[in-house]
Amino acid sequence: MDKKKIKEIFKTGIWDDNPVIRQVIGICSSLAVTNLLINSLIMGLALTFVTAFSELTISLIRKFTPRHIRMVIQVLIISAFVIIVDIFLKAYYPEMSEALGPYVGLIITNCIIMGRCEAYAQSNPPISSFLDGIASGLGYTIVLLVIAFIRELFGFGTIFGIPVLGAWWTRWTIMVMPPSAFFIMGVIFWWARSKTEKKEEEKEGGKVTA
Amino acid sequence: MKASKSNFLYPIMFTLIVTAVTIFLLAGINYLTADAIALNEETTLRSTILYVFNIDFPTGDAEKIEEIFNEHVKAKQVGEKTIYYIEEGDEIVAYAFPVDGVALWGSVKAYVAITADYSEILGMDFVSHSETPGLGGRISEDWFKEQFRGLKLEDREGGEYIIYRPAPGGNVDSISGATLTSKAIKDLLNNGIHEFITEQRGE
Repeated sequence: MDKKKIKEIFKTGIWDDNPVIRQVIGICSSLAVTNLLINSLIMGLALTFVTAFSELTISLIRKFTPRHIRMVIQVLIISAFVIIVDIFLKAYYPEMSEALGPYVGLIITNCIIMGRCEAYAQSNPPISSFLDGIASGLGYTIVLLVIAFIRELFGFGTIFGIPVLGAWWTRWTIMVMPPSAFFIMGVIFWWARSKTEKKEEEKEGGKVTA
Repeated sequence: MKASKSNFLYPIMFTLIVTAVTIFLLAGINYLTADAIALNEETTLRSTILYVFNIDFPTGDAEKIEEIFNEHVKAKQVGEKTIYYIEEGDEIVAYAFPVDGVALWGSVKAYVAITADYSEILGMDFVSHSETPGLGGRISEDWFKEQFRGLKLEDREGGEYIIYRPAPGGNVDSISGATLTSKAIKDLLNNGIHEFITEQRGE
């Protein structure tokens, strides 16, 4: 593993192939838990943990796994790690466990984990798979935090629960409800696409001229 | 390896082994954390009970909470419910009882404490609910819950103990922007209190 490859993996996971912005997966939880920054942070960390260790495990046993049952095995391993996170939160961070509620269990249905396991871990060595999991998880976490920052600031007037806008601020009810995440996410997609539009055109072999 | 992989039994054995390993791992972790989780749940319940009785306790200190709880509060089983009470001398002075119901998005569990002569609400707290954070979810904010302390229960007709202002006889403020949640909470508290008092008087 040279430095260049590590850098490449992280660049891909966080920007070039960001799971939320580019691959448009893991959207449901991005809408659900982003009304508070702290929820988003814990969700992002939990997902990063599960993705990284699932990818590591799946990559370790990839050569012994019969091809036609690989998805069964993947789901099995992913759910084991999700349950570990669930138990861990219940035991040591009960308030967080309560705040995230059913979403912890639903990490297993987050397409990012299975998507990365299937697309990357199944055909790459363990260490780069592990790093790929961390990179994808970070990419997801960053997008979540950006959305949550905007929603919490306008919806509650706070940042990580600390009041910053004061009592004069009228809370934007829409920011607290899931639809606001749709709008914010749309704007983020737009911005990210516009940053790379040129590159993609070059890749595709020149502009389409009318 | 190649040859055995195409064997009919190989996938079955492989799945079995992976399942067994994950199950043992999870069972082990579950065993190691079972005590911590049980303690957390008990601490949460104890804090709720102490809160509704308006007894001060240090937040987050599990041992201290247990000590204060055991010193003041006693429990008894009535039907399927566990009811908590406080004694002064040999006389019961207050009850805390669970109230369940449905609000806008899902079930709500709460505890209400009232004096033993059914004249006053001492306090109210939610154990669990699934209302929208920032809207209906504000029912678990202190300013909302504190309003219920010291509400008079006497002379309220037809079990309408709680009425939102500005309706006539109103004694509590509802949450603006969360009309349906507020209404559901009012109804379930009124019903719960009425039911409890009727049951107690019937005994």
